Amino acid sequence: MQNKLYTAFVDATQNVFQLMLNIPEISHRPAEDFKCDDEVDIAIGIVGDLKGEVVYRFPISTSLKMVNIMSGMEFEEVDAFVTSAISEIANIISGNVLTALSNNDIKCDILPPEQRGADEQKQEYEIETSSCISTAIGDICLEIGLNPAS
Amino acid sequence: MLWKDQYELGVPVIDAQHKELFRRVDSFLQVLRSENSWDEKIPEINETLEFMKNYVVEHFRDEEEYQRSIDYPGYDAHKQLHADMVKYVLEVSRQYEQSNKNEELMQQFGGRLLAWLINHVAAEDQRIADYAKKKGVSGNAK
Repeated sequence: MQNKLYTAFVDATQNVFQLMLNIPEISHRPAEDFKCDDEVDIAIGIVGDLKGEVVYRFPISTSLKMVNIMSGMEFEEVDAFVTSAISEIANIISGNVLTALSNNDIKCDILPPEQRGADEQKQEYEIETSSCISTAIGDICLEIGLNPAS
Repeated sequence: MLWKDQYELGVPVIDAQHKELFRRVDSFLQVLRSENSWDEKIPEINETLEFMKNYVVEHFRDEEEYQRSIDYPGYDAHKQLHADMVKYVLEVSRQYEQSNKNEELMQQFGGRLLAWLINHVAAEDQRIADYAKKKGVSGNAK
């Protein structure tokens, strides 16, 4: 299950980066070595057959570049517009993952995106996996924590 | 310019509406992100928001009609995506009025609208075009 989830999130991220940002090439590795001082963390809650969340850790420079590519405008800081745009991207990636999982009879829904503080305490989950995804506009990290519904 | 040629679906009537939608959203974002004071931006923001409320509904209706005309198998799911977006636009519009035209609310709306629209056209609508081309009916819009 852990591998299936890891692959589903990496595939969905690759697909969204290609379609929305015109960035076809990504690579991924386990996220133990993801280091970033300034980032925007967006959490997407998951309910249903699996319950938990995925936290998307977007470095600020990557966030600004993502919104720049979509809008053609320059952004110098992360404000409500930028946070909302990258939250929607996290929402889209997560939604695509759940669609893929539903083809394997795993039925889940996602909750609206929430911005997280970088130092918020993490909950422990039965299924935990994380990936650092490298793209032409920087790395992003996905931390997936889920429990099977009892 | 927000519109990219890669978003073109090859269905003339839908492409024309998408271009108009992108042009309007582009213009909305230019005003939203300009360096003018919020008070100076409000009249144009209000005007664009009103247009969006009407045009989004009109475009979605036309697109759904096209999907029915080609028996698109993902019609129900796609219609639900449209309904969710219309609900969101109307809800934001209501909150905007109630909050006496709060700027942060509109900045959040702009960011989400940008990402939603690009994904919807580049991914979701592309599936309709792929189906239409496969069926050989891509020029058959009403």
